[in-house]
Amino acid sequence: APALSSQLIVAMATAPHTWLRLVPSCRSYSKATRLHKIDYPWKDEPKPHWVRQFEARRVDADLTPENRDWLRQWRLQRVRDAVASSSEAAAAASPLKEPPAARPLWTPRVSQRCGLVGIKLGILPMWYRNGQKVHTTVVQIPDQRVLRWVPPEDLGNYASLREMRPYRLNQSFLPRWLTQQRWGLQLVGAVPADPANFTAQWCGIFKAAGLPPMRKISRFLVSPDASLQPGACLGLHHFRVGDCVDVVARTVNRGFQGVMERHLMEGGPAAHGSTKFHRKMGSAAGGGGPIYRGKRMPGVMGNRFRAARSLPVLRVNTKHRLLFIKGFTPGPPHSYCQIMDSWMLDVRRSLDANPPPMPTYFAEDAPEGGYPEDVYHPDLLPYDQPLELPD
Amino acid sequence: IQLEMPPAPSAAAGSCALSLGSRFLFGCRVTAAHRFAASPVQPPSPLHQQPHLQPCRQGRRWLRPELRGVYKPRLSPEAMKEFWRLSGIGPDHSRAKAADQQAEVPPEIKRLYQEALPPIVSQDYRDPIVESLHRAEMMRRRRVINIPEFHVGSILAVSVMDKHAPNKVNRFVGLCILRRHTGLFTTFTLRNMVDQVCVQIEYELYSPSIVSIQLLKLERRLDDNLLYLMDAPHSHCTIPFDMVPEPYSRNDPVPVNRERVRLNPPPWMCKWHLHGYQGIDLEHLYSYLSDKDVAKAIEFSKAYKRYDLLDQYLNRVPVPDADYAFKDIFIQHQELLQHQQQQQQSSKKSEVISKLTGTA
Repeated sequence: APALSSQLIVAMATAPHTWLRLVPSCRSYSKATRLHKIDYPWKDEPKPHWVRQFEARRVDADLTPENRDWLRQWRLQRVRDAVASSSEAAAAASPLKEPPAARPLWTPRVSQRCGLVGIKLGILPMWYRNGQKVHTTVVQIPDQRVLRWVPPEDLGNYASLREMRPYRLNQSFLPRWLTQQRWGLQLVGAVPADPANFTAQWCGIFKAAGLPPMRKISRFLVSPDASLQPGACLGLHHFRVGDCVDVVARTVNRGFQGVMERHLMEGGPAAHGSTKFHRKMGSAAGGGGPIYRGKRMPGVMGNRFRAARSLPVLRVNTKHRLLFIKGFTPGPPHSYCQIMDSWMLDVRRSLDANPPPMPTYFAEDAPEGGYPEDVYHPDLLPYDQPLELPD
Repeated sequence: IQLEMPPAPSAAAGSCALSLGSRFLFGCRVTAAHRFAASPVQPPSPLHQQPHLQPCRQGRRWLRPELRGVYKPRLSPEAMKEFWRLSGIGPDHSRAKAADQQAEVPPEIKRLYQEALPPIVSQDYRDPIVESLHRAEMMRRRRVINIPEFHVGSILAVSVMDKHAPNKVNRFVGLCILRRHTGLFTTFTLRNMVDQVCVQIEYELYSPSIVSIQLLKLERRLDDNLLYLMDAPHSHCTIPFDMVPEPYSRNDPVPVNRERVRLNPPPWMCKWHLHGYQGIDLEHLYSYLSDKDVAKAIEFSKAYKRYDLLDQYLNRVPVPDADYAFKDIFIQHQELLQHQQQQQQSSKKSEVISKLTGTA
């Protein structure tokens, strides 16, 4: 059978981003997720949007196909070497590097760790030891490295905030993470790939950290005591079985939808003399004046960042680098997602008693003998064990 | 957005959109900026060297970045014929697949592990790692419980854990009328009469609360599902709870029950004449219908679907994927047999030891 190790998504081959997809939606999603105060489609632009990521593949007529392939393999080997030299194994094995600085302690109500970038693969059903069924989302953790740390004091000078859109000045409030300056921004790059896929500007972002260019850049709000320096490796065991996480991802893009689908409006009667009024909005409530900003109207539905909060990690698979997260997360399969320690208060309080590896998982945290292939939550029933219900 | 005329395509260009003339450019709708601003895919610039628009009437079709600048050589007619022969669809394919594909996996594997096939959904929703996890977990569950081979039309006895039952186990006997979904989501529905009441229970095949699945009669029907029994006389699905299991051999082909069921007079739960059921007595069925409905039913049953290539493509598992799944399952099936042998040996050992210690 073909080896499955090639499925580890390092994007040496092509790994497509999420494409525009038209999926018939169901009307059973909750209204609470859509009741947001005035939000605009361009609010959810992936950052950095001021840097062009992709460019046309250069067709070099001077090169023969063999030389072109050889150069591609040479580039990919350099990327692999860069990835291997900055990995956890290299950091643990190298005797020349200085020992890491004293690791910060977990401070209650202060510490917020960095998160991980994941790729949602699909859904696997499992059962608890009491016979209850639970659906788990399978998320793969690709190769990722820390790119940059922006301390809270420098948030105002950060590029994306400097290139603010004019409508932000009209808004009466700014987000709290910007005004309070409690947390800084941790940039994380994921999925290293061939530099020829990207523009020089995009590759330059990674050059300062000494890393190969990557397909995905994410940013996390992290407290200064849990900050990581460029080049640090983020691994699968950053989260443990039993930790509750928040998963932030772009929802499935349902395309241009009308008001009945998008905002669950009533529409009009199907019969009884209704003339051309079956699925329309009806009145726009102008009262003679202009239509107010944020009026619910037809438009592109989905493709917005949404968070699924406080989902426990039920199982960890070290062979394929998978996290099995309880419940369902936004987004279609093979889409990126951000996974971080949950912001819910009860989860934060529970972490004070059982602090996670700070600032991230290092090789010295590994248990003796290493991790088994599958680590299960104690409440979860592995499939090769029979169910034993108490009388 | 202003779309400028791109330069003439090079010889190695993969797409032939522009060679068809400029009318396709003017026929394409201009895309709004905000659609692409929110997506990670950047719109191609006007000075794009590679043709990025695919010819289509509706426009707005952007070629994927990994396909731009890629030269796909034209396939020879022999290669195309081989492709169609192995694909399993189209008029050139033969039902008996190539020997190199079939010889490796014995046919009993395909009968035992029907749910190992990947689901028939769009390629975007399928993932090889998740499918391999489903298969691995299926085989792990089969180390705990024996799941026999059964088809729609077979009679099964299922025991599930029930804390309110006297023996903590609830046993139900019924005719399998439906079997759906794939992998760990597989479910099957049993139907029977209990105290003159029709009962249908849907079980999850890999649920750990199932204590045992016993096959009482191995049989197949002419249809994939027997939902029409809901509108049939109750005699067709009355199975005694103390039915004795009938022996069967794995090497023999599955016996087919070709009985044709006479439905009750309408109203029915569903328009059974429009689904192509072979297990219904059609003459008797049509006697209840008007001429218009009969004509509609006859037109539906016409054999034009074998020429509908897209229908065949969308409603079949790709042959390479099916072969890979069955090969993977075959390897794990052999490991399962070894595991069962080891368990038998160890249980025999423990029996002998307990006898010796008992006598001693």
